[in-house]
Amino acid sequence: MNDLIRQAIAAEAEERVDSRTVLAGLHKAEKRKPFGLIVGVATLTAAAAVAAVVVPATIKKTDASPAAPPAASQNVLLIGTDDSEFTDALVLARFDADGSVSAVSLPRDLQVGEEKINRLYGQAPEKLTGAVEQLTGVEVDHYAAVDMGGFGRIAQIVGGVEVCLLAATEDERSGASFPAGRQTVEGDRALAFLRQRMGLPHGDLDRVKRHQAFLTGLAAKINKDNAVALAAEVGRSVRVDEGWDVLAFAQRFQGPVEIVTGTLPVGAPVDGPAGQALQADPGASRQFVADWFGGKATPQDGCVR
Amino acid sequence: MGFDQFVAERLDRLLGYATAITCDKHLAQDIVQNVLMRAQGKWERIGAMDAPYLYVKRMVTNDYLSWRHRKAAREIAVERAELARHVPSTADPADAHAEREAMRARIAVLPRKQRAALVLRFYEDCTDVEIAQVLGCAESTVRSQLSRALQTLRAHELARSATLGVHS
Repeated sequence: MNDLIRQAIAAEAEERVDSRTVLAGLHKAEKRKPFGLIVGVATLTAAAAVAAVVVPATIKKTDASPAAPPAASQNVLLIGTDDSEFTDALVLARFDADGSVSAVSLPRDLQVGEEKINRLYGQAPEKLTGAVEQLTGVEVDHYAAVDMGGFGRIAQIVGGVEVCLLAATEDERSGASFPAGRQTVEGDRALAFLRQRMGLPHGDLDRVKRHQAFLTGLAAKINKDNAVALAAEVGRSVRVDEGWDVLAFAQRFQGPVEIVTGTLPVGAPVDGPAGQALQADPGASRQFVADWFGGKATPQDGCVR
Repeated sequence: MGFDQFVAERLDRLLGYATAITCDKHLAQDIVQNVLMRAQGKWERIGAMDAPYLYVKRMVTNDYLSWRHRKAAREIAVERAELARHVPSTADPADAHAEREAMRARIAVLPRKQRAALVLRFYEDCTDVEIAQVLGCAESTVRSQLSRALQTLRAHELARSATLGVHS
């Protein structure tokens, strides 16, 4: 029987992976760039989640990198662009050392000076980050811009993202057609869910809530098995500022992370040179962001318009 | 011995060992990769030892036996147990390959420490003393782990022969 055992164990050992793949992994780790990892952190509304959750799941930290510096919190502006150079989603996210993420959505129709905030990124990224800093009183350490068109595929990769609608809704322009209640969206339906603002009681403000709901739902679906595919997809559509070592940043998060999303308070609608806009309220904005990032963030109810 | 040289000479063998004790090549890869990254950090000390390979093998074994991988190990065991149930009834007794696969399945469902001892004996050709070092236990424990493993495998072997005898 001993020979049989010997053969059986040898057969099991024969299954081993090619040592070259491990070597490659070791070399990458040396350069502190495990996987071409993603840029993950980035992403629109969802970036916060994707990154912080995907990256640790993919890298499998364990105690392999004891040299990682103690994490300080960082503020990252996540910018969601659609087909045009206008931004459809703006999220200021604070990544804390303990892996928690507090995110504040900035409505895209906010009036900043003579313009709406969603025009600034197309002119110059610094113009946008500067305006956000002034509005919120918080320093923007980095930014990441993501093409929101990729979110249909992202949702597909995780097997659909669960969202909950308070009421049924239809909108031809975005292709939205959703019943009320809990449902899973992916592909074109996910895009329609993220794009629809016509036919909603509060238009873009309701859409912001949808972005947040999608983000939270997406975070819940990310796991070790889909993380790699997800990372590849996210990486394809993200741009970050020069000088941001996203990998080093992402590696500090042990995941899973908790994400709390909220929306910046805004003033009344006004007719500006760029059409109807929302008045900014710097005082309230700064107070809100300070509270939200200071530990007063509270999870919101799951169902949205 | 330098780290790079150690890796060049031993990586393949280490992967074979890790795969044999885990019965999961991906888990084995993860463990070996993590262990080597850790070992690299303190290679000055490990490289100066009499038996660096034994030490690294111990790290790999500990990693697998530690709580971290307990869940993964259980899932695989369940899968293999399923396999083990089916293999005997479908195997052709004349087929050496089938016999070997049946044995593989039975080894895969042994308790992890027993399997590690078995692999160290039959794959790595370790002595009781060496196995005790790798597993971090007494030699008497090594002997009892091995004898229990062999007993289980033998009992299965007998049951299998009997079953096949009835059917043929």
